[in-house]
This record gives sequence, C-alpha cells and structure tokens, in this order.
Amino acid sequence: MSYQDWFRQDRLPHIYCSGCGNGTVINCTLMAVDEIGWKENETVFVSGIGCSSRASGYIVTDSLHTTHGRALPFATGVKLSNPDLNVVVFTGDGDLAAIGGNHFIHACRRNIDLTVICMNNQIYGMTGGQGSPTTPAGALSTTTPYGSSEPAFDLSELAVAAGANYVARWTSYHVKELTRAIGAGMRTPGLSFIETMTQCPTNYGRRNKLRQVTDQVEFMKNHTALRQKLDRMRESGQKVPADVIAIGEFVRRDRPAMGVRR
Amino acid sequence: MKLVIDQDRCKGCNLCTLVCPYRIFLPGKTLNRKGVVVPDLDRPERCTNCRLQKLYGRTLCGLCVMICPDQAISWEEEEPHEPHKVAIEY
Amino acid sequence: MQGNIACAEGAIAAGCRFFGGYPITPSTEIAEHMALKLPKVDGVFIQMEDELASMASIIGASWTGMRSMTATSGPGFSLMMENIGFAVMTETPCVVVNIQRGGPSTGQPTMGAQGDMMQCRFGSHGDYSVIALSPASVQEMYELTAKAFNLADEFRVPVFLMSDEIVGHMRERIDIPDQVPIVQRKSLQKGTLPFHPDADLVPGFPRFGEGYGVHVTGLTHDERGYPCATSPGLHEDLVMRLVNKIESARDRIADYSITNPEAETVFVTYGPPARSVEQVVRDLGRDDIGHLRLRVVWPFPESALNLFASAKQFLVPEMNMGQVAREIERHVDQPVIPIPKLGGNLHSPDELKARLEVLR
Repeated sequence: MSYQDWFRQDRLPHIYCSGCGNGTVINCTLMAVDEIGWKENETVFVSGIGCSSRASGYIVTDSLHTTHGRALPFATGVKLSNPDLNVVVFTGDGDLAAIGGNHFIHACRRNIDLTVICMNNQIYGMTGGQGSPTTPAGALSTTTPYGSSEPAFDLSELAVAAGANYVARWTSYHVKELTRAIGAGMRTPGLSFIETMTQCPTNYGRRNKLRQVTDQVEFMKNHTALRQKLDRMRESGQKVPADVIAIGEFVRRDRPAMGVRR
Repeated sequence: MKLVIDQDRCKGCNLCTLVCPYRIFLPGKTLNRKGVVVPDLDRPERCTNCRLQKLYGRTLCGLCVMICPDQAISWEEEEPHEPHKVAIEY
Repeated sequence: MQGNIACAEGAIAAGCRFFGGYPITPSTEIAEHMALKLPKVDGVFIQMEDELASMASIIGASWTGMRSMTATSGPGFSLMMENIGFAVMTETPCVVVNIQRGGPSTGQPTMGAQGDMMQCRFGSHGDYSVIALSPASVQEMYELTAKAFNLADEFRVPVFLMSDEIVGHMRERIDIPDQVPIVQRKSLQKGTLPFHPDADLVPGFPRFGEGYGVHVTGLTHDERGYPCATSPGLHEDLVMRLVNKIESARDRIADYSITNPEAETVFVTYGPPARSVEQVVRDLGRDDIGHLRLRVVWPFPESALNLFASAKQFLVPEMNMGQVAREIERHVDQPVIPIPKLGGNLHSPDELKARLEVLR
C-alpha cells in the first residue's frame, strides 16, 4: 500500500490554489501514516474550518470536518471515548491560534494522545487573506493594509510551554524532515504538535512581494534555520536576524498522557 | 520507473522545478487543455533515484512526488531500455 | 433524590458513557455526579475548558458510537449553539441538558426560568428541527433523561432536556426501575452511502473505526458525505429532510397527559408550572378546567390541542414572557392567554386561581 491509496481519488484534484503548501503537508502526513503502518479503519482525521481543514475530506478514513476552531475538542471526544483509534488533527493558524487558542493550550495541558498538524500559512486564506495571529509584523494582508502592527504568535513555543509531549516545526519545503517529524509525533504518546510553515501564494505571497510560488518557498528556505544553530549563534554573540524562523524539533518528553491506547 | 505528470491534476505551481536535483522538471511554456502551464519533463529517464528504486526496494529521493501539492507527479513503469543517441558537446 | 442527580442516574442507566461538561450553576451537580459515577461503569468524564468544547467533545464521542451527554445552563447553552447546529447538520445523536436559569446574560444563576425554550428550538443559525423534553418532577428527570437518549439515537438529532433550577434542585422520592428501555441507533448497512436515508428519513449510523470511511462535515453534503456547498437543490433537499425526519414523526414523539378533555378553560403547561396547575385543578375539583401537560415541547404536539373539543380559551402559565404560548396561538382559533412569570419563582396555585376568577 502506498500513500496514494490513502487519498479519496474520486475527490482529487482538491480545492487548493496552485502552489498551496497544504497539499504537500497532506502528502507528508499520509506518507508518515503509511510508514507507521496504521490501518485505515483505525485512523480518524479531524479538522476545523479553513483551507487546511479541508484536508480531512480527501482522505479515505473516517474523518470529521467540524466547526471553526473546535477541531481539538471534537478530537478529544473521539480519542477519549475510543482510545484504540489513532486521531490526527489538521488545523490552520487561524483555526488553532485565534478562535481555537483556548482549546489548543488545554489539549496540550491534558496531553491527549493526538497528533496535531498545524498548517501555518500566516494568513486567513479561505476568507481572502486577512491577517491572522501568526502574520509577521509588517506583513500586508487585507485587514492589515499598512502592515501588521501586532506581534505574531510562536505556536511551537506555546505548545512547549503548555505541555505537549512532542513539538516540531518544519516548512513545506522540508518534506523529508517534515515526514520524519510527523512520524515521530505519531509514535509519541501524548499530544504531538507539528507546525508546518506553508506558502499561501494567492493571499500571502501576492501581497508581500513573493509573487511566484517558488519565490515564497525559496524565501521560507532561506529564512529558516535549525533551532540549535540559532542557539549557537546567540551563544557566540552573533546577531540573529529577526525574520529567521527556528525550525527543528522543539521538545520530546514523556509527561503523563491521556487517552493512550490501553 | 520513470516520472510522469498527471495533466488533469497539475495546477502549474512549478514547485517540482525547485526541488529536483537532476533538473528534470523545467518550467513549461504552453498551456494544456485545462489552461495550465504544466512543467516540461526533460528526459525523465535520467533520474537515477527513480530507476534504482526497484533494486533497493524503497523510495529514493522522491522529493518531487512529495512536494507536489496536487498529487500530480507519480512513477510509471518504464518501457524496456531503448538505446538513445547521445550527443556529447565539447 | 435531587433532580440533577436523578438526571445523571437516568443517563447512566440509559447507557450514557461519555460526559463532557463545564461547571455552571444550577447544573453543576450533574457534572459532579457523572464525575463520581462514570469511571465506575467504565465511562469517560471530562471537564472541558468551556461549553463550546464540551458540546464538541460529546459530538466527537458520539461518532465512536457512545451515548454522550453534556449539561449546562443559560450562558453555557448560548455558547453551545454553533456546535448544536453542527450536530443537527451531521445528524449526530447526543443529549444536552439545560437546567434553565433566569436570563438574559448572567441573570439569576440560582433561580428557575423557562426562558430558553425558543433558543433550543431556533438558537442555532439556519432552519432545523430538534426534540426538546421538559420534566416537571424528579421522577421525570430520571425517566425523560433516559428517554432523551433513545430519541436521540432513533432520530439522530441532538435532544434537549429543558429542565430548570426548580426541578434540578428539587428533592423528591423517586422509583428507580431495574432497567430502562433502550432503543439502539441503527447501524449503517455495508454498501449503503453513509447519508442515504431509510424510509423514516434517518440514515443508518456509520460508527468511526468500523471501516466505513465516512466523511462527516458541517458543510452541505451529498449522500456520500462529500461537501457540495453550492448546489441549491442539494441543500434544499438536505435541510428539508433534516426538518421532516422530526416533524413527520411529531405524533410518535409526542408525550403528554390530559385532564378533563371536555373542559372550556384549558391550561397548557410544561415543566414546573404543571405542578401548580395540578394543584389548582385538584383544589377546585371542577371539570370545566382542563389541563394539557406536555413532556415533549418540540416538535410541538399540535394534535393534542384538538383533543379539547369544547375549549373556549387556553391559559399558558410559563416562567418566561410567553414563548410557547405564541406557538399554541399558531395552532388554535380560541384565545390563548399567556400567564408569564419572571423573577425565578413558580406561579403559586393561588395566583392561578385569582387569574381564573378574573377571566370568568
């Protein structure tokens, strides 16, 4: 069985715009699921509302496409009532960090055995490019026409502080690393949070001088650095540019978890 | 095994041109019947990773397949080897 | 036994094994009792971070085949509205207990009211139909909670137990049966599309983890469960079916009792005002005063009103400003006189008798 068999072939091609990073993240997730060897009838994909959350509908397993921001409580219900199911949550930055922020920190605190994959495109894509809590300061969007004046959320650090057992951040350019991280997250009991920076060429890149899809991916490639490297740079007194995003594994630990298969 | 692009699924984002170490994918020039500029494949049989997959029994590289957001790139069985005329430029 | 405890006991007897809740006066005792009892019967109790999440969690649990329930009161009920709409659209069986209190807003947390009757019917956006039960005693709290689970599973719809602070905190002696009747939800036949309705307009239930591979979405979906949000015909058919599966079964769902069907003056009640009216009927001992007591308020059992053939007027004592009275007005030609009562206290029998004198 290959990862292609996990797609509902009758629903492809999906609704994502040309060059949207979400498709890549689905590929990586399914590749990781396939490598681990989860069975279709034991896996449930849950998602909220937004571009990223359409992902669950393209996968052959049981899937729950819920209300805006509430994917994690729905997943909590599924996982706690049947711990034999493997539950993966697809969510986006608006879904998880804005309307679902409270559910996110509490799911991390409870450390429920879920794998949460956040496709962070730094914008509300489906509604047409409004600023989100992760829009970098100064970036243009339809609701921040003079540049975002709010500081952005660092979701991975938030998950670490809230108590998730596994936290990693990669981008949709780093497909191999992302697949490995998702796999590691799925194997870790407790909540694993994998944040993927994805490109949104239609609504983010277009307004922020990254007109081509490849421009934005190149930008992500050049403006990310391994966490360890950034730490080393700071230690040695080097200046870390403000727009460089730390990627890599943030935490892997063994706090007591809820809803682990009995 | 050799790479192919599904003309019905490709949306022309050119991400594959960015990641291929062999530069097999080149930005396309003409619209297909769906109005998408699908990347051109430049001699896909050149990809060593694709050809050796059977031998190793696992996916080698596969970056283009993984990064393709539209699940448009896949492998197809190659026809038996045909001799090619290779022009060597000096 | 206290009403709230009876509700929790009724739920456990009916096979409820998942409770997601959030503390709110006056419903907290239900959550407390569930937290105490559910682990002993291999159930799951979880205190969620808010009511949005508790409603979401019971829907998630329901899709794994569990009977699930939450309990709340006014402000929490308002928060649940969005996910209640989701449960209606995705046809998820679940039970929501609303121990009503005085509103709007924080209002009177420790006083009874019936002000959410219209909210439970119309509170979420869009057109839909639900089932709402209203107990008037602790015994009914037990029985109707158990019944709510059966109705939810039979019709695949969220069922509301619209109780209130008065019954919730009332202590009465009750009879607990050895067993409560249980109607299991029918499961989906293999090979049938997951949202293809049977003759009763209710599709079989494809439990998660049994290989159905069902996609559940709050978007307008076709019978495969795939979203198709821009097709006008599909949306119309879907919403019509969601409404009709409840409305066409009105008489089957209806549950009421009737006193003096020949009467000219008829009280229509649900919930605690029924107790005052029963007292009035008993005290006066006249057969020209009738009483229709509803245990199921939504879908409204309009045929029950026609049983009072010689009725000249309908009196509707409610602990709100006349929410169900207006629904009755739609169905009858006789004058409908609401007897509203706000402030948290029940209508006293003397008050109602005085009202009868005025009307005579």
